[in-house]
Amino acid sequence: MSAGSRAGSAAPVGAPVGAPVGAPDGVPDGAPAGGDAGPSVPRLRRARARWAWGVGAGVLLLWSLAGAGVFSGEVLNPAGTRQLARFGAGALAPDLSPDFLRLLLGSTLVTVAYAALGAGLAVAAGALGAPLLARSSWGRRRTGRLLARGAVAVPRGLHEAVWGLLLLNVLGLDPWVGVLAIAVPYGAVTAKVFADLLDEAPRAAHDALVAAGAGRTTALLYGLWPQAAGGLLAYAFYRLECAVRSAVVLGLIGAGGLGYQLSLSFASLRWDQVWTCVYALTALCVAAVVAGRAVRRRIADPPVPRGGRLHRDRALVVAGVAVPALVAWSAWYLAVSPAALVDDRAREQLALLVSAAWPPDVSGPLLVALAGAAVVTVQTSVVAVALATAGAVLLAGLTTRPAHRVTVPRALAGVLVRTALLVLRAVPPPVWALVLLFVLRPGVLPGALALGVYTLGVMGRLTGEALEELDRRPADALTALGASGTAARLYGVAPRAVGPVLALALYRWEVAVRDTVLVGLLGAGGLGALLALQLAVFDWPAVATTLVVVVALTLAVDLVSDRARAVLR
Amino acid sequence: MTGHDVARSGGPELEPSLQHSSSVPSVLPAAPTRRRLLAGLGAAAAAGALAACGGRTSPVSPSVDAPPADASPAGPSASSGGALTVGAIPDQDPEVLQRLYGLVADSMADALGLGVTYRPVTDYAAAVSLFRTGDLDLVWFGGLTGVQARRQTPGAVVVAQRDIDEDFRSVFVVNEATGLAPSQDLTPLADLRFTYGSQTSTSGFLMPASFLTEQGVDPRGFPGGPGFSGSHDATLQLVASGSYEAGVLNEQVWLARVEAGEVDPAVQLFSRTPPYHDYHWLLGPDAVERLGEDLPERLQDYFLGLSADDPDDARVLELFGAGSFVEARASDHAQIEAVGEQLGLLR
Repeated sequence: MSAGSRAGSAAPVGAPVGAPVGAPDGVPDGAPAGGDAGPSVPRLRRARARWAWGVGAGVLLLWSLAGAGVFSGEVLNPAGTRQLARFGAGALAPDLSPDFLRLLLGSTLVTVAYAALGAGLAVAAGALGAPLLARSSWGRRRTGRLLARGAVAVPRGLHEAVWGLLLLNVLGLDPWVGVLAIAVPYGAVTAKVFADLLDEAPRAAHDALVAAGAGRTTALLYGLWPQAAGGLLAYAFYRLECAVRSAVVLGLIGAGGLGYQLSLSFASLRWDQVWTCVYALTALCVAAVVAGRAVRRRIADPPVPRGGRLHRDRALVVAGVAVPALVAWSAWYLAVSPAALVDDRAREQLALLVSAAWPPDVSGPLLVALAGAAVVTVQTSVVAVALATAGAVLLAGLTTRPAHRVTVPRALAGVLVRTALLVLRAVPPPVWALVLLFVLRPGVLPGALALGVYTLGVMGRLTGEALEELDRRPADALTALGASGTAARLYGVAPRAVGPVLALALYRWEVAVRDTVLVGLLGAGGLGALLALQLAVFDWPAVATTLVVVVALTLAVDLVSDRARAVLR
Repeated sequence: MTGHDVARSGGPELEPSLQHSSSVPSVLPAAPTRRRLLAGLGAAAAAGALAACGGRTSPVSPSVDAPPADASPAGPSASSGGALTVGAIPDQDPEVLQRLYGLVADSMADALGLGVTYRPVTDYAAAVSLFRTGDLDLVWFGGLTGVQARRQTPGAVVVAQRDIDEDFRSVFVVNEATGLAPSQDLTPLADLRFTYGSQTSTSGFLMPASFLTEQGVDPRGFPGGPGFSGSHDATLQLVASGSYEAGVLNEQVWLARVEAGEVDPAVQLFSRTPPYHDYHWLLGPDAVERLGEDLPERLQDYFLGLSADDPDDARVLELFGAGSFVEARASDHAQIEAVGEQLGLLR
């Protein structure tokens, strides 16, 4: 949904563009799905459906930009550069006093524990839930599958922070709040992605086992599971990386950890301390990304066995042991007790909450306010994703790890840009929102750009990885024929890259709608701002209605982006 | 893990190796090793679960920070049943109090002979809910949140307030580019881009909105709608930047920043509001039931007895930005209750 989208539909395409990007929710097109883009013989014709979608995307973007006030009057506030500079200065002079570092160390452990246990539970829930959602297990019974997918949309549609606030009301000050706020929405997303991966895995072995008389479970475990294991493991690691960032967001609502320290320092604008927290988070993300990348690489491209002998890949064994150990340590460190989930108090509070929220408020003024806020939310998310996609495409040359040897400055620039992207996504969107508000007039734009900058951090990396997966031969062939670097990229890379990159943008759009609620929750407009006010005055019936609207909006965006991706394939 | 290694190994380059008998043993041990691995993991998980149930206290949920001075730490009185759980959400320099809360917990525990647990909370609404559920016994609430908490928790007792809370004020500030001179007339603000602090702040939103209403300015009007910066310091910076032309903040924060020379010269004082009551300590009914009928008096004695002359007390007072604590009554906040209802912030 962006400039890129219009460029894509305007390009003379008609052939299938690139391999279908495997997994939703922004997972990089991992190893297992990527390799099957064999040479096809394209029939040259214009795809009408793509034109329609392209024009639609363009109109949506223009409407969103107009809503953000880009075409009407001043949006910049140059006088605020001094405040912005103060934020920037903090980056160069973070608070490194021993007391503060000691404080952060403890908080970092809490964040790691939340992330590991939350992601661990999510992956377990995803593995158990995937067969319930997979097309293969429902066969022709479409209603059942649609119902199952619809049920998953509810936990998935709400942001982790919203889950956190709701759970805080039921469970009180319990470590389960942070763990479940990650595990519930992530579990739903993971189940959906795992189901898609299972559906995409080659089925020959499974069918052969069934034909030979094996039971369903046996066939699933020995025929399908090994085929899909690589993709599933890669996705599980990706979730762990995301969980680290989510754990920080949960700190902002009071669940403890790095995010809690960050929000305290943020409240009094102690930028030096905010930056120390950001750097600590960046370090955690680097660790997660490096570990995840190493595992993904090995699964995608298993090292050739020495002497032709089968042997276990030590790195994978270490990962396989270390991750469950980390999850077990997290459970111990946080001292979570399963009993707390079902004790009388939790049940009592849940009953109280439900009775307070029922019946939901459907009065006219609230519905009008919700409609207005929903429009702002959509516009914010569209502008954010458009900015992130444009930025990611522009930076793609530097974010992609080069296949051939390059000059030292080029390699340095690549490292620099990738690190910068990491910092962009390590600063929570609410912080970006305030900082951008210094140099922008109030309105939709600061929130949208804040989310855009954050999403750029994520998209930049995913785009780089998607491009690395592409077949390099067309570009190499053009270069060999004497084409310039630019021409090789334009005619050799771009046509194949459009599909995967747009698919990523569409996945991120769903995520951005959810994140918009977060930015709104902490200040900017839209449904999140409305929800924040309702929560602050304990207007539970209105909260219930707003949550229904948020879930419905997420579902609608999910469906639209699903249709758009189908057209791209 | 092993499963897919084997599955993937069926590639053509491996086939010759299968003719060597030596390759067979290298595949076969996989099963027992895997079993051992799974058993190990299962044991680790079980150990984790056991440890979790085994009385370890969580770094993020209640535990006794400061045991009572006169009790053995292992005794039954050290369990949370005999301890007081305390929380606070200051709106000035929250990071200072929230990170030095050990001082407060120690001071209270020594004076009261009780175990005291300090629970840092960041979210006002969450603090109100946690007070209702009994997770927090004694909370330092702002004016509005205190009234909300009392409505949701029948039997809550107001214990004390700071000396400055009897005569609390907010200040309206403007960017110098507006050219507005200080005045008691708030109507010129109606045409400016305006920001409050947090939506649940008494001094950053509720009372200023009430004073604006009194002068005929729609508190939810303003060009483009009012902003909610989230904190008093953010309000100051946003007005300094000119993104918002005017804003309102707590006078205590304003004076502290002026004194420290941290206020941008672009920010000018426009108007000072009339006085109202703000922060106060609120005690939940559960704690009184658990720890004795005289708990409110004991707490009041403790707070009122804090003296700036005593070095330990002085540090506690400083954390709360108080000269001393004084008596407070529920009726002190009747004005806030009325305004809150009028603005739809109380249900």
